[in-house]
Amino acid sequence: MGLNSHGFPTVEPMTVKDYSSADDQSLVRAAQRGDMAAFEELVARHRDRIYARAYSMMRNEEEAIDLAQEAWVKGWQRLRQFQSESSFGTWMTRIVINLCLDQLRKQKRQRTESIEALDEESGGVERQMPVVTVNPTAGLERAELRRRIDRALGQLSYEHRTVLVLHEFEEMEYKEIARTMGCSIGTVMSRLFYARRKLAALLADLKKQDLV
Amino acid sequence: MDYDAQLKLQAWLDGELPEPDTREMAKRLERDAEAAALARELRNTRQALAGLEADVRLPESREFFWSKIERELRRLETPGPERASSPLLARWRRFLVPASGIALVGFVGLLALQQGGGLRLSGGTEMETTLADTGAFTYRDYSAGATLVWLSYPAEDEAADDEVGIVE
Repeated sequence: MGLNSHGFPTVEPMTVKDYSSADDQSLVRAAQRGDMAAFEELVARHRDRIYARAYSMMRNEEEAIDLAQEAWVKGWQRLRQFQSESSFGTWMTRIVINLCLDQLRKQKRQRTESIEALDEESGGVERQMPVVTVNPTAGLERAELRRRIDRALGQLSYEHRTVLVLHEFEEMEYKEIARTMGCSIGTVMSRLFYARRKLAALLADLKKQDLV
Repeated sequence: MDYDAQLKLQAWLDGELPEPDTREMAKRLERDAEAAALARELRNTRQALAGLEADVRLPESREFFWSKIERELRRLETPGPERASSPLLARWRRFLVPASGIALVGFVGLLALQQGGGLRLSGGTEMETTLADTGAFTYRDYSAGATLVWLSYPAEDEAADDEVGIVE
């Protein structure tokens, strides 16, 4: 590696083969220098994960695609701020989560809250729910399990769904969820408890329908 | 089982309960059937969600998805249309346009005076000229080599007329 006229090491441009075999860190460094092909490789590697997160929060394919795309554009614009404190995939996931939360808050302001959502916010509903004693997902095939959970998640308010997604899929701790959602740890615990209990009840209902 | 105990049980399952409470919760689960049933339900739900996202795929090809991102990045790189003027700038413009117009009239008047007025200027004298229509006065000190143009807006004559009119 030589030095350029300014005394900095010169960096050879990557070849197509280099991109596919390079690790994320090398690609990020190349992208930070303005190498768009390196960024394209990062998009290709992480696009499913970013989309999955957007979809789990939005429950709408089109919106999830749009927000995933927006997250990648923002990722490119903020790439210089990425300090490798977390993995690139985690950093990108945080971006898409924040975009989804902004979008969901906007949507919430625009629509009238459902009675159920108001019940959830006032709290206490989950305390009266009977405990689901039989595992409602036992013996289900993976595709069927996914379909049922997808349906049940779609029936939760976005606050409850998001807490569940951040805890179960992103493996965030309570305090991290509280920081991300701008609420207290107590609220996170309460929402998570409701979301889990409601999900169990919805899955139990679906199992009962099978038996009838 | 009260609500606080239920939330503590959940925190225990999530590994977020402090150590002394953890031991206490483990003991409680041995003797409290209701707490044990709730713990089982919460565990089942967690297990049902585990690994659920592994198969989720973006329903667009790599090329198509990237082409949309790239187009957006290129669009953001090209300079956009000029931004609309800020309100402050607009206010300054409202003030500057008439002021510069008046200054221009004064300047033209001064030129006309110097070239067509036929005035012989001697060194060290001071002159005062009034341009009735524009309300502009010019003072020139040849000894000092300085010219001062006084502009009044609206023209002082008009203002005077207005005043007279008001008195009447």
